[in-house]
Amino acid sequence: MNDQTEMMMDNIRQFAQANINDIALKIEREGVSEDLYNSLIQQGLIGANLPAEMGGAGLDRTSYDAILFQLARASPSVAFHVFMNNSIILKILEKASKKDMIGQIVSGKIRLGLIPGNIIEGSSEKSNIIIEPSKMNIYIGKENASLVDGMPELLKSKSLGLRGLKTDLFTSIKDGEKLLPYGDVEKIWNEASWDAAAIFLGISEGALEKAIEYTKVRKTFNFPLKDYEPVAFRLSELKSELEILKNTLFSDDSKEQMGMMLKTISAEFARRATKYALQFHGGYGYLEDFGVEKFYRDAVALNALMFRPILDKRALAASIYGEKSGYL
Amino acid sequence: MDFDLPEELEEYRKKVREFALREFTPELAEKCDREEKYPDELRKKTLAEGLVDFSNPWKTMIAIEEMCRVDPGLGISATVPYFGAEVLMLHGSDHLREKYLSRVAEGKAIMGLGVTEPGGGSDVAGLKTNARKENGKYIVNGGKMFITNGSIADFFVMLVRTSPPDDPKKRHHGLSVLVVEKNFKGFDSNQLKGKLGVRATNTAELILNNVEVPEENLVGEEGKGFYYIMEFFNISRVFVAAQSIGIAQGALDRATAFLMNEESRGHFVGEERKFKLAEIATRVEASRLLMYKAASYLFNYRPNPMITSMAKGYASETATFAAETAMEITGATGLQTDLERLFRDSKIMEIWEGTSEVEKIVISRMMMKGDKNE
Ligand SMILES: Cc1cc2nc3c(=O)[nH]c(=O)nc-3n(C[C@H](O)[C@H](O)[C@H](O)COP(=O)(O)OP(=O)(O)OC[C@H]3O[C@@H](n4cnc5c(N)ncnc54)[C@H](O)[C@@H]3O)c2cc1C
Repeated sequence: MNDQTEMMMDNIRQFAQANINDIALKIEREGVSEDLYNSLIQQGLIGANLPAEMGGAGLDRTSYDAILFQLARASPSVAFHVFMNNSIILKILEKASKKDMIGQIVSGKIRLGLIPGNIIEGSSEKSNIIIEPSKMNIYIGKENASLVDGMPELLKSKSLGLRGLKTDLFTSIKDGEKLLPYGDVEKIWNEASWDAAAIFLGISEGALEKAIEYTKVRKTFNFPLKDYEPVAFRLSELKSELEILKNTLFSDDSKEQMGMMLKTISAEFARRATKYALQFHGGYGYLEDFGVEKFYRDAVALNALMFRPILDKRALAASIYGEKSGYL
Repeated sequence: MDFDLPEELEEYRKKVREFALREFTPELAEKCDREEKYPDELRKKTLAEGLVDFSNPWKTMIAIEEMCRVDPGLGISATVPYFGAEVLMLHGSDHLREKYLSRVAEGKAIMGLGVTEPGGGSDVAGLKTNARKENGKYIVNGGKMFITNGSIADFFVMLVRTSPPDDPKKRHHGLSVLVVEKNFKGFDSNQLKGKLGVRATNTAELILNNVEVPEENLVGEEGKGFYYIMEFFNISRVFVAAQSIGIAQGALDRATAFLMNEESRGHFVGEERKFKLAEIATRVEASRLLMYKAASYLFNYRPNPMITSMAKGYASETATFAAETAMEITGATGLQTDLERLFRDSKIMEIWEGTSEVEKIVISRMMMKGDKNE
């Protein structure tokens, strides 16, 4: 981990401690507050990975992923908000040379919603998801990403995860201003694999830390849970796996194509780690007050939003075999 | 060996499924989940249609499975008002059975079972709620945690300590079962909100502050409570296996329909997702067979706790596996369907009535005692 990344890990950990940890449950119940959105802007977290000439902070990849990782540890919803802005929306606008709009987003004057549409696998008319619907939204359609003016007509929808953000379904949307061809958006998506992995690993660390702390103090049959082999061994194995994955995430030497590898492994890991973390809380894990069930929900919900089990795995297979593979 | 259920039970299965498909509307399931509201009307309808039949535990098991297949929150709500009844049936005096059980069976009362405490659920013998005898009454002090029906039940079958253990290694001695009414002075409850799933069911914390319980409300013999409750778990775990298999089958139904629909619309469905479907289906079958085996021992008065724990443990892990895998298969679409609720509901199966770890403790202990399958 380079110095800048290490510093960012500390800074954002402190930021989360001051601004998120105590209200993490409130975020799940009532959503991210305007105050918190403003703090993210003031801290320079929106636009963190954007080049300075575009109005961003110009952080390198690992420092930016440190932000996502630390935010996800405290609140996956907040981390996803930063991810969707920095890794998708601002990247699309940057490539489309929309400098003015970038400036407005980075300074907090406007917020755009995201309709991931075709970039998500298995999306259909039933799953026209819009995240943080706004007066202006980026829509990723079959052929282009476009900027759609006007709030689409929304349906009331369920939300397994990301309860801190507004997510909804919509009936139809108007045509918008074309920004980028789909191929370019897919490139942006693939480059964001590292960032998605940072969120999956942050979620895992948030859940595992809670479980490790809980099993130190909870006693059954007169012994703390950590004294039992299945508890101690499982949580230690998971924590070891996590540390090894984090090493890859925060290493400057990691090769570019490892982003997809890491995302694939981290997505599965997050679901496994959060499940054990909940399980070792017993009945208390099933209640939102203990703050561990949200990681379990979010790991699965984000899996559907940030990981494409077929397309991403095909990209992975192609990188391993060096040719088209895994399509039957 | 015949793997088919008798025709009468298959007919019954159909009847329950039709009922659940008709009465468990998506709106009701969604509303009870969102508002964390117990569907009392559904309880009454289920009774009125004769779908909870205590005279035939096979029927109860099948009803639970079929109802949870359609919606676990509603299915459990409809079948849980009798939770703990077997303890009274097996050990309650005629007076207690008459006074309490008959009202439950008529739909005039709801009951609950109070074992878990804030300090522990797995370690049943470690409970702290205490009952001392005074002037022909038990004075109960303590608290119970995570009690299903806790703020809607009229009375509870409750495990309490009536005397200190005679030997520190025998903490399970000195425990007794009492029937505690919600109307007894000093009783209070506090609904626990914000559950991950099964949100249609009511869950509460019970507060017991000098609650006076008449001596006649002792169930069976004083000091035998631990054994009665373990015996009860041996029964109820078969029913949790049924809840779990219902959930797993429900997830399988939804994932299968999704993939068939994808194919019919000309979308590509590769082997990866088909294999996942095959894995769920195989585990559902295996779990069901194990449950039938546990049930056949139990319902023929030859309970086999090891097989029961295997059935509950495996079925509950199948439920979460099936729900998670179905979420994977259906991706973003699944997020927007009731599959997401099934996924949230499924996790409780690995926790209540003995966690997965507790089931493994039971199985391994019996294996090493040489107490194998028969
Ligand atoms: C929605 C809901 C409804 C419920 N309804 C009822 C009810 O009606 N009546 C009732 O009495 N209870 C009820 N319960 C309680 C439930 O049965 C307990 O939560 C469960 O038994 C686990 O106990 P615990 O929560 O205290 O966890 P703990 O006992 O504290 O266990 C925590 C974790 O440690 C593990 N663990 C414990 N000991 C060991 C060991 N020796 N080795 C390895 N791992 C171990 C457990 O498996 C678990 O993963 C309900 C719970 C919930 C959430």
